[in-house]
Amino acid sequence: MFAYAARRILATIPLLLVATLGLFALEASVRDPVAELRVSCPKCDDTAFARLTELYDLDKPVLDLSNPANSRYIAWLGNTLTGDFGTSTSQGELPVSDFVWARAKNTMILAVPAFLVIASIAALLGMYSAVRQYSKSDYAITSLSFLGIAMPTFFFGLLLQVFWGIWFHDWTGWRPFFTSQMHDDSLSNLIKSIVLPITTLTLVVVATESRFIRASMLEVIHSDYIRTARAKGLSERKVILKHALRNAMIPVVTIWALDFAALLGGSVVTETIFSWPGLGPLLLSSIFAADVNMVMAIVLFVAVLAIGFNLLADLLYGVLDPRIRIH
Amino acid sequence: MSEPVISIDDLSVSFPTDDGWVHAVRNVSFDVEPGEVLAVVGESGSGKSVTALATMGLHPSSASITGQIRFHGRDLLSVSEREMRGVRGNGIAMVFQDPMTALNPVFKVGAQIAEMLQIHSDISKAAAWSKAADLLESVGVPEPGKRVNQYPHEFSGGMRQRAMIAMAIANGPDLLIADEPTTALDVTIQAQVLEVMKAAQEATGAAIMLITHDLGVVAGIADRVVVMYGGRVFEEGTAREVFYSSENPYTRGLMSSIPRLDSPKGERLVPIPGTPPSVLSPPPGCAFSPRCVYADDECTESHAELRSVGSGSSHRSRCHKLGQLTEALAGGAS
Repeated sequence: MFAYAARRILATIPLLLVATLGLFALEASVRDPVAELRVSCPKCDDTAFARLTELYDLDKPVLDLSNPANSRYIAWLGNTLTGDFGTSTSQGELPVSDFVWARAKNTMILAVPAFLVIASIAALLGMYSAVRQYSKSDYAITSLSFLGIAMPTFFFGLLLQVFWGIWFHDWTGWRPFFTSQMHDDSLSNLIKSIVLPITTLTLVVVATESRFIRASMLEVIHSDYIRTARAKGLSERKVILKHALRNAMIPVVTIWALDFAALLGGSVVTETIFSWPGLGPLLLSSIFAADVNMVMAIVLFVAVLAIGFNLLADLLYGVLDPRIRIH
Repeated sequence: MSEPVISIDDLSVSFPTDDGWVHAVRNVSFDVEPGEVLAVVGESGSGKSVTALATMGLHPSSASITGQIRFHGRDLLSVSEREMRGVRGNGIAMVFQDPMTALNPVFKVGAQIAEMLQIHSDISKAAAWSKAADLLESVGVPEPGKRVNQYPHEFSGGMRQRAMIAMAIANGPDLLIADEPTTALDVTIQAQVLEVMKAAQEATGAAIMLITHDLGVVAGIADRVVVMYGGRVFEEGTAREVFYSSENPYTRGLMSSIPRLDSPKGERLVPIPGTPPSVLSPPPGCAFSPRCVYADDECTESHAELRSVGSGSSHRSRCHKLGQLTEALAGGAS
């Protein structure tokens, strides 16, 4: 298992290289800081342009295979590997890593509880509607799921803000939740500020996950070994919870791992709507500000999360399913 | 004769479908005597598997079911689900068709056999596991001590079916229902598995209800045979009676459609023409009449009753032409 994990981690290195190189080249081709400076600063002269060019090696190619030392990407890679993600051009020339880490922690405050809520609700709804297939409650859950899938995140987020911030307040004179920003001065305020963003994140992800879990559970319930379990004289409860559940959860583990990684990487829409100081809004503003180092650091963080959780899912597969032997 | 282990009396099972009710089993009655092997033979859609599942109470909950299935005198169709659970795996156990999918892939084989023991008796986990190993040994699984700790995917098809049989006989059932137990196996393994079943039956004294479409299997193991067609019993008798003195055109058709080693070289198999009747809109008269070369107006218009063949024997057959086809069948079929 350890050797397998090590091999998998090694195999992700080329993946990360290609992904970062592609992104770096894309960023470098879209934005020309010198040209922008020319527009934004009419007074600047050639010394300023030369200094900017020198500071960011703008005269060098992104990747020069004949002379790798002359490449901007190779220079960035070398710095990144030593833990130096560079300085931000949009946030007062501060180290990018400090910023990304601070924002990542804020994102986690949303992502971890959101994931726990999502996973448990999705599992319960999915299992229930599979066990009671074609019942009224199954149809109700199915309809709500499609509503959740069809509902745009930004719209649902705004709806929650309008309801709790304005309508409910007009009606009762009370605001039970914060509708914007992170209030971390006390635990109760923090909880009051995470409720609405988490609800927003939950709706969409639960809708898709519960459909997936329902489908997985249905496939298992109709399998021969479930009939065998019933033929043994087991109660229906044991048949479902012992024999069906573990099999049905095998494919779900991957979905959970990827969804959790996505949540930890920050939700651009939800965090922006709720003015949450997480990774999502930072990525958005950094892209607009052509802050290459910041964008690269955030994307690298998200990529490592995705790859790490994929690996975790594969290892869990081996634990849940004895047919998958990990050597 | 002692009291039958199971007595199926006027059983009818229907399922609602989008296209209407499917009458899968129609007024089926037969008994299984203690310690005997009763083969229930028929093509797909003859109702044989549904009869078996109904006996276990494992038919779909949407099914409409009438009649009686008496197990030691108690009607299983009227007992509570809780009581039925006490019968399943205990008094009546079942071996399924496809051993590749009938065992749970995520649990060790030993755990699945031990679970069967633990459901129905107060036995410690350690004792159940050690008995699981004994059971595997009794069905001819080599190295049972090691095998109990393996998962189903580490077993071959034949070994898995042996494990299924070990599980089924774990609690010493009075009736073992085997639904096409050899169909999914290689021909060389089929004979071994049948021998294992026969040996298990002799060791435990269980009666076997063997659901199959394979007359070769029937000839090898069955004491008595019930032939089903279109949801009805078409013929019933001892294996000898059904094989050697059947005058039922359907049974004869079945037998002449199987290859024999001793048939003259170059002789062609005689398939039964046509296809089994639609379960949704069966023919109005005898279900076999559209495929029967001897059918006339009487056959297409009305049902035949199950009648005794000869007197004083248990051999019964459902055919309007009973007794009239002796010469035709003797000449026609080899």
